[in-house]
Amino acid sequence: MSIYLPIAEISVNIFILFGMGAAVGFLSGMFGVGGGFLMTPLLIFYNIPPAVAVATEANQIVASSFSGALAHLRKGTVDVKLGIMLLVGGLFGSTIGVYVFSLLRSIGQLDLIISILYVVFLGAIGTLMTIESLRAIKKARDNGGDVKVKRPGHNSWIHALPLKMRFRKSKLYLSAIPIVALGTLVGVLAAIMGVGGGFIMVPAMIYLLRVPTNVVIGTSLFQIIFVTAYTTIIQSTTNQTVDVVLAFILMVGGVIGAQFGAAAGHRLKGEQLRALLGLLVLAVCIRLGYDLVITPGDLFSVIGTADQGAH
Amino acid sequence: MRRLLSLFTVLFLFAASNAVLAMEKLQMGISVDLVPVSSGFAGQDIVIFGSIENADQAQLYRGEYDVVIEVIGEMEDAIVRKKDWIGGIWVNASSRDYTDVPSYYSVLSRNKLGDVSDLSILNSMGIGIDNLKAKPVDRGNIEEFLTQGEFSSALRRIRIEENLFSEDPTALEQLSPSLFRATLSLPPNVPIGVHKVRAHLFKDGKKLDEIENSFQIRKVGFERWMYDFAHEQSLLYGIMCVLLAIFTGWAANAMFRKN
Repeated sequence: MSIYLPIAEISVNIFILFGMGAAVGFLSGMFGVGGGFLMTPLLIFYNIPPAVAVATEANQIVASSFSGALAHLRKGTVDVKLGIMLLVGGLFGSTIGVYVFSLLRSIGQLDLIISILYVVFLGAIGTLMTIESLRAIKKARDNGGDVKVKRPGHNSWIHALPLKMRFRKSKLYLSAIPIVALGTLVGVLAAIMGVGGGFIMVPAMIYLLRVPTNVVIGTSLFQIIFVTAYTTIIQSTTNQTVDVVLAFILMVGGVIGAQFGAAAGHRLKGEQLRALLGLLVLAVCIRLGYDLVITPGDLFSVIGTADQGAH
Repeated sequence: MRRLLSLFTVLFLFAASNAVLAMEKLQMGISVDLVPVSSGFAGQDIVIFGSIENADQAQLYRGEYDVVIEVIGEMEDAIVRKKDWIGGIWVNASSRDYTDVPSYYSVLSRNKLGDVSDLSILNSMGIGIDNLKAKPVDRGNIEEFLTQGEFSSALRRIRIEENLFSEDPTALEQLSPSLFRATLSLPPNVPIGVHKVRAHLFKDGKKLDEIENSFQIRKVGFERWMYDFAHEQSLLYGIMCVLLAIFTGWAANAMFRKN
């Protein structure tokens, strides 16, 4: 059954979109990530204009992160104070990101920059994650039992910074500077790439800020709600590229898929999950990188004024 | 009712033109004047019908008259970009801006355009995809772009691939020596706006008459409301999108918690 998307201005198959939402939701529920890094490229492969895909995905992530954060709030695994500090940077970064997004779109380089950012970040994180988890699996096999995630060594330069604050839930006494900076970086990327940024935020919190793993995901989700809500509104007012019909189909598919994914995730060990996620991230990276490198089927592209959105 | 009225108008015009009895004339009507685009829109066929008036009966029966119908969407600007191999990846490296490019363009006829008239005549009248006149913005003069250069041919080719430019030399059928009918198949991605329908009457390669009419393609109902809302009240629209997401997230959480 086809449905006409009022903002994207194209007819799409509602079941395919719903299925995409459910499949990505399943993976995101299984791995505890938002799934934006999978959904945005999928939408672009499905011929949704990149500008609409990115802005609409921010809207969808509001739903999935809100749903996830509620569960974490109930379990008490959210460091609200840390989340708010990340959010301060996130809102600032997102404002910059949407501005850069408009600029890139007007000079015709948006698609390229989106692809390059995906390849670079997915490549780096996918590689690190795969190597780390394969090592953990090997170690678990050698020891014949479970392994703890190694808390990385002391990052002395981060702890030497001024403006220290106490985060009781995370049992941290840490400078506000790296926290706000991390929030800003993720905010910029979230706005340009159409992701929540959890796949960058979570490893950075664990390895750079040394936040205990039990509060990392809840806190990340908590701040992602606000950054993506803010991005949705800014994209709506700046670029008019949020398609609420598309977002709603993806949201419904996503939240349902996530429930089944979470159940499936309980059956796998942590390091196995991380290895699978790492491989998945690498696969998306390779697919996008391949498109940048191979000779395109058509060197030319045409943009009519109608496609440019606001005029 | 409105369709009936336009039919009466056409009939009235037939009578009026017969009374004048001068040169050959075209009459034309369109089956709709509004094509609504709503959630289920998957393209639509519309029928253009008309007649040749005051024709030389002998020539008419020999089929020496030719009718060519152009359907022309709204004029817009277009940017054509070309990728180049830079530093190991493919990058949009150069571009041309054009103005006065029709958002949609279709030619319906009974014979191939080359058989209707000389290409130079068609070119001077701007009939046919190859003869469309649009201007490159940066050149600032009347250079006719669509017949030259790799950028202009790419624009033409891509628009054809997208089903936005087309020529169909079989779409027009002759119902009787003087009556014709053409079926226009609008693709699902047809741009909204006012579309002109212009019919040309040819004999021996020379143009005798021209008549123009139009129909409108418009979003209706929910789609129109949503599009207007997003563009005119973009802040409220953004807030609504966020609230919808929060509600969906909350509903999912509440629903699955009980299980």
